[in-house]
Amino acid sequence: MKVTVLSLASEHADTYVRLLHAMPDVELLIADPDGPPDDQARARGVAGQLGVPYAGDWDEVLEWRSNAVVVTSEVGRRRDAVERMAEAEAFVLCEQPLAVKSSDVKAMVDTCDMAGVRLTLASPACYGEAFAAVRRGIADGVVGTLTTIHGSYHTPPAAGVNGGALAANAPYLLDLVDVMLDGEPATRVYAQANGVLGAAAGPESAAVLTVSYRSGVVASFTCGWSRSAAGGPALSLIGDKASLEYDAAPRLLGGFDAVTGGERREPGGEDPYPSMLRDFLGTIETGAGNGPDGEAGLRTQRIVEAAYESMHTGQPVDLN
Amino acid sequence: MRQLEVALIGAGLIARFHLEAWIGAGAAVRIYSDDGRAAELAREFGARAVGSLTEALDGADVVDICTPTGTHREIALAAIGKGVGVVCEKPLAATSAEAEEIVDASERAGVRLYPAHDVRFAPAFARLHELVASGRIGKGTVAHFRFSAYHPRPWTGHASARSGGILTDQMLHGVDLAYWIFGEVSRVHACYQGEIAAPAPEGAVATGIAVLTHTNGAISQVVSRWTATPKPPVRVAFEVSGTEGTLTYDSEWPQEVRVADGEAGGFGYAGGSVFAAEMREFAQAFTGGPEPRLGARDALAAVRITQAAAESAWSGRAVELPVKGAA
Repeated sequence: MKVTVLSLASEHADTYVRLLHAMPDVELLIADPDGPPDDQARARGVAGQLGVPYAGDWDEVLEWRSNAVVVTSEVGRRRDAVERMAEAEAFVLCEQPLAVKSSDVKAMVDTCDMAGVRLTLASPACYGEAFAAVRRGIADGVVGTLTTIHGSYHTPPAAGVNGGALAANAPYLLDLVDVMLDGEPATRVYAQANGVLGAAAGPESAAVLTVSYRSGVVASFTCGWSRSAAGGPALSLIGDKASLEYDAAPRLLGGFDAVTGGERREPGGEDPYPSMLRDFLGTIETGAGNGPDGEAGLRTQRIVEAAYESMHTGQPVDLN
Repeated sequence: MRQLEVALIGAGLIARFHLEAWIGAGAAVRIYSDDGRAAELAREFGARAVGSLTEALDGADVVDICTPTGTHREIALAAIGKGVGVVCEKPLAATSAEAEEIVDASERAGVRLYPAHDVRFAPAFARLHELVASGRIGKGTVAHFRFSAYHPRPWTGHASARSGGILTDQMLHGVDLAYWIFGEVSRVHACYQGEIAAPAPEGAVATGIAVLTHTNGAISQVVSRWTATPKPPVRVAFEVSGTEGTLTYDSEWPQEVRVADGEAGGFGYAGGSVFAAEMREFAQAFTGGPEPRLGARDALAAVRITQAAAESAWSGRAVELPVKGAA
């Protein structure tokens, strides 16, 4: 199976390269046809170290005839990359957010549909045994009737994201809820944000987002930039009988780090990337996957877009 | 690659955990147990029951000894004599002399011997070791390990108070971790409280505190308890300090999934099985893969230190252990 990692711009690109390179049935290509010269040089260097080919222009990338592609370029380049690769019939795994505008996401979804390839969202917290257990628990009625979800995801400021903490971190939380609610559409979105942490961190450095879904379930999230090594994404799922908590990266070890003068936090939980990649590569055979697809990405991006509108107006925004 | 042939000896609770893990690691398992329970266990997991130890060892690559501690020596020596690799439930032997005899025999015969110190495969301890070994806490100063559990069944084996009784098996966990991260131990002092001789009734209460002085200067305190109630059924915690900081852990901290309020019923998620990780690593080693994270010398050290703790608790004196390379 021939798999291309397209650009090393994302902080997760090295993880994909390492895991794919270790898979015996995968032939790996590293490519960065649109990247700035420094990025291209680094990508070429990584390919050289691993002894895998590197493609620096689109003709070379397309000639290689990938079965699948992992799109890890900057957000602004993702639509073009996804559409070119989908048209060449490569199955696509794309980092979140797929694009800044939902109209771009819609075009990506349509192109993949037309080409008959599944678009899979790289939303790692949706994979792995722990989240599967949570889904089973909710389906089996452990919390009774699910009414309310709250969650959080705080990370160091992400590089290469157009927008702030909400655009970068809310998609991971919204994807989890989308999977949990089987793609139920949102009806109303309210968001508040501030930039107290400073303009350098982007338009908003902290945000709270509340989403009402068609069945009446309400989900509210905090997203932000953080200097602490926080875990997550994390959800509390509240029903009329009990509540269930999921944290994709809980604290395994704590303590004090005398070198940094700060708290230590060694994350635990299963590394979801291997199971996400296995699931994604499986979509080539079956056309179906366990994780969120392009349609889920579109629902998520419409909520994010509505959230920015709500921040602007100060009022809830209805979605139809 | 040819399927690894494992001879599982014993059919109790640990044998069941190991059996499931071996099957998960892709091994073929034949089971022998002298208590007549092998057939039922084999049937449940689609394994094969055999009628004697000889039959079990015949053609096996590995023996996995899950019988009472007093029988480990005889089975291990029989396997080593036939060139069959050995996995042995901890402790490797009831006395240091027996443990030395088994380890010497395995080394002379060039047969691999891996003790089933399963806690080294739990993520918190594996991460602790990785961080300490890579220098993240600097030079180790002092460590505290705490293991407590409720024993849900009567203790059926025979172990005198002088030998450490019901504290021996559990004390070995903390001792093994202390040895893993801080290395050789030269002096041991311990206090054991409670009616520790076995057989003992369900819910027998005991507490042991052992202080290990490591040759690198670090000190470890290991607290081992059998509690009066199963709330919680097991609790494990540690705090390890060095010149560049600390590492702490508590099994009470929530992990990926928990029911926060309300009744969980049968719902739960505990992450991957330590036994699965352990047998996978052993199976890889027996089929030409890298050596696992522990071997025969670790088994011997754990028995020596645990026995020194029991001896100290009995005599009231600190016990000196011979140090490698010393006169």
